[in-house]
Parts: sequence; C-alpha cells; structure tokens
Amino acid sequence: MGHDEGQSRGRGPLRRGHGPMGVASGPPEGSPATAQLLDARDVKVEIAGVPILKGADLSVKAGELVAIVGPNGAGKSTLVRAVSGMQKPSAGSVFWSGRPLGEMRGRELARRRAFVPQRMPVPNGVSVREAVTIGRSSHLKPLRRLTGEDREGVEHAMERARVTRFADRDLTTLSGGELQRVQIAVGLAQEAPVLIADEPTSQLDLGATIGVAGLLRDLARTGLAVLLVVHDLALAAAVADTVVVVSEGRTVATGAATQVLTSKRLSEVWKAEAHLTEHEGRTALHVAWLQGNDVRSP
Amino acid sequence: MARRALVFAALVAALLVGVVCSLAFGAVKVPISEVIDIIFGQGGSATDVQIVETLRLPRTVEAMLVGAALGVAGAILQGALGNPLASPDVIGVTGGAGFGAILIIIVLPGSIALLPLTALAFGLLAAATVFAFAWSGRNRGSVGKVVLAGIAVLSLFTAGTTGLLAAFPERAPSAIFFIAGGLTSSGWRDLETVWPYFAVGFLVALFLIRPLDRLALGDDVAASLGSRPQVIRLGAGIAAALLAAASAAIAGLLGFLGLVVPHVVRMAGGTSSHAYVVPASAIGGAALLAGADTLARTLRAPIEMPVGPFMVILGVPLFLWLLRKAV
Repeated sequence: MGHDEGQSRGRGPLRRGHGPMGVASGPPEGSPATAQLLDARDVKVEIAGVPILKGADLSVKAGELVAIVGPNGAGKSTLVRAVSGMQKPSAGSVFWSGRPLGEMRGRELARRRAFVPQRMPVPNGVSVREAVTIGRSSHLKPLRRLTGEDREGVEHAMERARVTRFADRDLTTLSGGELQRVQIAVGLAQEAPVLIADEPTSQLDLGATIGVAGLLRDLARTGLAVLLVVHDLALAAAVADTVVVVSEGRTVATGAATQVLTSKRLSEVWKAEAHLTEHEGRTALHVAWLQGNDVRSP
Repeated sequence: MARRALVFAALVAALLVGVVCSLAFGAVKVPISEVIDIIFGQGGSATDVQIVETLRLPRTVEAMLVGAALGVAGAILQGALGNPLASPDVIGVTGGAGFGAILIIIVLPGSIALLPLTALAFGLLAAATVFAFAWSGRNRGSVGKVVLAGIAVLSLFTAGTTGLLAAFPERAPSAIFFIAGGLTSSGWRDLETVWPYFAVGFLVALFLIRPLDRLALGDDVAASLGSRPQVIRLGAGIAAALLAAASAAIAGLLGFLGLVVPHVVRMAGGTSSHAYVVPASAIGGAALLAGADTLARTLRAPIEMPVGPFMVILGVPLFLWLLRKAV
C-alpha cells in the first residue's frame, strides 16, 4: 500500500525562519500561515519492547483540522501521544514550529500544543471556571496568583468553547457533551496554537457529537490547528481538511477524505465493505454491515 | 466559594480556641485572660509564666505542627495517588517510624533520647523502600504500585514491631504510649531535632498545590500542561514522608489524623480543590490535635492519657456525620 501524497507540504523540520511564520514562537491565531506547526517524521514507539508505532508521519498547520483515523489498536492515540511528548518515541523526528520535541521542557511544550484526553476524571466540587483556570496554570509562575490577563485568558477560553453559560456549575453536574466542551476549554486556556483531541466524541450522542465537531471546525476556522483522533469516518470526512489513515502502526495515507477513504482502503484497512459519499457538506458511510464476515475472518 | 471561606474561618476559630485551651488547661489551670497576657508578655504570676512558656507552649506548638503536618501529608497523598484511602500509613512511614521507636524503647531503653531521630530515620527508610520498589520496572510510579509496595513494607515493619514486643513482653507497656500516639511536655528539645524536616515537607507541599490540582483533572491534562505526573507523585510522597516521619518522631503513631482530616475538610467545604484542601487540612489537623491533646491532659489530670484514642473519639463522629451527608 503506497503512501498518498500530502506529506509534500512539509518543508523539512530543520528549516527555520522560512516562510511567514517559520519562527519558533508559532503563528498567531487567524494568520494565513502555511508553515508547519507540527512536523513529525517516521515516528516509532516501542512499549516494553513491543513496537506499537512502526513509522508514522504527521503534520499540521495553522487553521487546519487533521483527522487521524484507523482501526482499533492501529496506533492513532500512541501517535498523538508521542508527538505531544507524552509517550517517548524510540525513533523519528518531531518538530514543533521548528523546535525539536526533545529539547523542550514541560512549560514550553505546554505553550505549543494542548492535549485533550478522551475523558478526564471529574473531581468533586470543582466548577467549570476553576477547571479552565487549571488549564491556564502553565502560564503561571509557581505560587504566583492569577493576573488580570490570566483571568481574561480563562474567560476567553470559555467563550471559545461555548461553556460560559454554565461557568459556575460543578463539573459533576454536566452532561457528557458539556463536559467534553469544558475539556476543550481547559485545553484552549493553554493558548497553544495546536489543539490535540483524542477521540473527543467517542462517548457522545449524535447531538453532542455534532456540537463538539462544529466547535472544533470553528476553532480551526479562527486559526487554531486541530489534530482530531476519531473513529467515525463519516464525521472525519465532514470536518477534516486532511485525513491521516493509520494502520498497523504506520501512516498509510494522508490527504482529502474523499481521496484517502476509498472503498479499496476501507476494505484493506478496516476489512469493511463500505464506501463514503459526500454531498453539500453531508457525509455518509454506506456499510455492508453483514457482508464483511468473509473478509474479516483470518 | 463562600462555603469554603466559611469552613476555613470556622477552622481558624477552632484552632484559636484549641490553642488557648491547650495553654490554659492542664494539671494547673491558668485563667484565659492571664494566658493572653503571658503570650503578649504583659505579666502573669511567675509560676504561671513558667508553666505556660516552658511546658505548655512547646507542647501546643508541637500539637499544631504535628496536626498540620499529618493533615497536609494525608491531603497531598490522597491528591497525588487519587485514592481516598491514602494516608501516611500507605507509604510505609508509620510502620517504619513505629519500628524505629519500639527498637529504642525495647532494645536500647538507655538511649531513649535517640527515639525521635531513630523513628524519623526508620520512617524515611520505609518510605524510601516503598518508592524504590514502586518506581522501578514497568509502569513505574503508578498508583497501584505505590499502594501495594506501601502495604507490603508496612506489613514488614509491623511484623518487626510485633516481634520485638513479643520478644520483650516485660518492656511492652512502655511502648504503648508511643503506639497509641501522644505528646509529652519535654520542652523544645524534640522540635529542635526535627523542625527542618517539617520545614522542607511543608515547603514542598506548598509548591505541590497547583500541580495536584492539575493531576485532579487526570494524568493526561497534567502532562498537557507540562507537568510530569510521576514526578508530582514522587514529590508528594517525599513531602508526606518527611512530614509524617517527623510527626511520628515527636508524637508517636497518629496516622488516623492524616487519613480523616482531609476528608472532613473536603466534605465540609464541598470541594476537592487543593488550594483549599491543603491549607484547610493543615489548620484542621492543628486544631484537632491541639484540642484533643488538651482533653487527654485534663480529663484525668494529673494523669496524662495518650492523645491518639481521644483524637479518634473526637474525629470519628464528625467524620461519620459528614460521610452520611456526602454523595
């Protein structure tokens, strides 16, 4: 299976200062930057000697929403965790706005990317505003109180994630969809140019999924780079500018949804007889639900 | 927010009452007005000044420090391990300190002055053993590994303590006071030995407040914010070990306080935010121990009873009452 084009967008991780935004600080929101905020090449991860990721590439630029799709166990989450600095890669290169991942300490990394987990634990008696304030803490010096700017940052993050309406409610009283938006607000409070969301919709109902998908799309429209790990291929096709397919620890295709999620690939990667359709922003995955048993069995 | 402020104010008031009572009551009663005069250096009879300044003040300060230390140790351990059952017992400190103290009391009764340091040393040794095993191999620093290593090490030292008591049954009675947990009127001597351990423990705990709040939103959120969850856990473990070992060195085994006080302040304040729970546990622990120690000294004065059981008698009903209302 060949690797589809799409990676040629990258101009090499070591080049700095080329292009309008090729500086270490990363582009501001809403800028028409084309520089890669993240450029990861041939990333490998071994856990206890077992290769989980066998060579994956990933890049994202400002305003781009990249969906990472693949079967269970393909290595999607490991890939985003590795580029985020949360899982040590055993090989490969990862650059954030030209800075090598390995050279950055926690606080600097926190200003370059925010990671939103699938589901965060919900502590008792913590309000939405307090949780989002915790998201701001990478901006604070130890023991220093919040400044006016920090408070504004918290309010702004809540507005962007549309959670201001229930800012004073306790986390324990929120629905799944509301909680997911709060998690995104916690990530936004980091004010990093890249937001990484690991399966944010996997436990949500249809309406809440649409809400979160629309939110992520809007955030990308305002200049945020979004990496979205997602199982729902129709959803990925609808929201993503670029779809990255991960299979058996490798990125096997990168490009527009209709180009990479072909029937052939759905069959090869997911062992499913299916095809994707798109019409005026509506997407559908037509699956032969009960006819895949012959291809599926080993 | 208002509720937290209210609970905090109540705890501070309780601490003030506890401190004044601790200074005023005992085998000899000193009127409260005179206690206040003595504290501010404005008189009082010579005997009363002597009693308050050389006997009760050090003891009250010890009660406050030990209560605060155990409250904070429990709060940061429960936060760091994300486990409501965590207390200084869980990282082996109590078991180690108990063994160290019993070793001196039973085997080397002539060197009783070494008790605080030996208890401290064995408490820290036990915690170090727990951390060494919990932070090795796969999944290092995981909550399960810490708790299991802690329970194993605790059992080991408890077995050692029991073995010593069984081998020298005639000396066992002198060990009971330490095991039950209690303060003594030995002046500033013990504090002079162990204050640096308290100081470092409290300081580390202060710096852990914000990281622990991050950890409350999960390891991934903490990592996203640039923290390393395992480092936060190790820091919390070390701070708790210092605080609990120093506490055991001067007041015996009062581990219960570290378990219950953080829960009480969490339930009363309706929040698990560490910016509230850590200082409130310090104040609450100090108030509880100062109050309980006063009771232990006065109820059957001049006989002093160990404070441990009294603290449990004061703390458990409050704890159960709050637990009944908790979700």
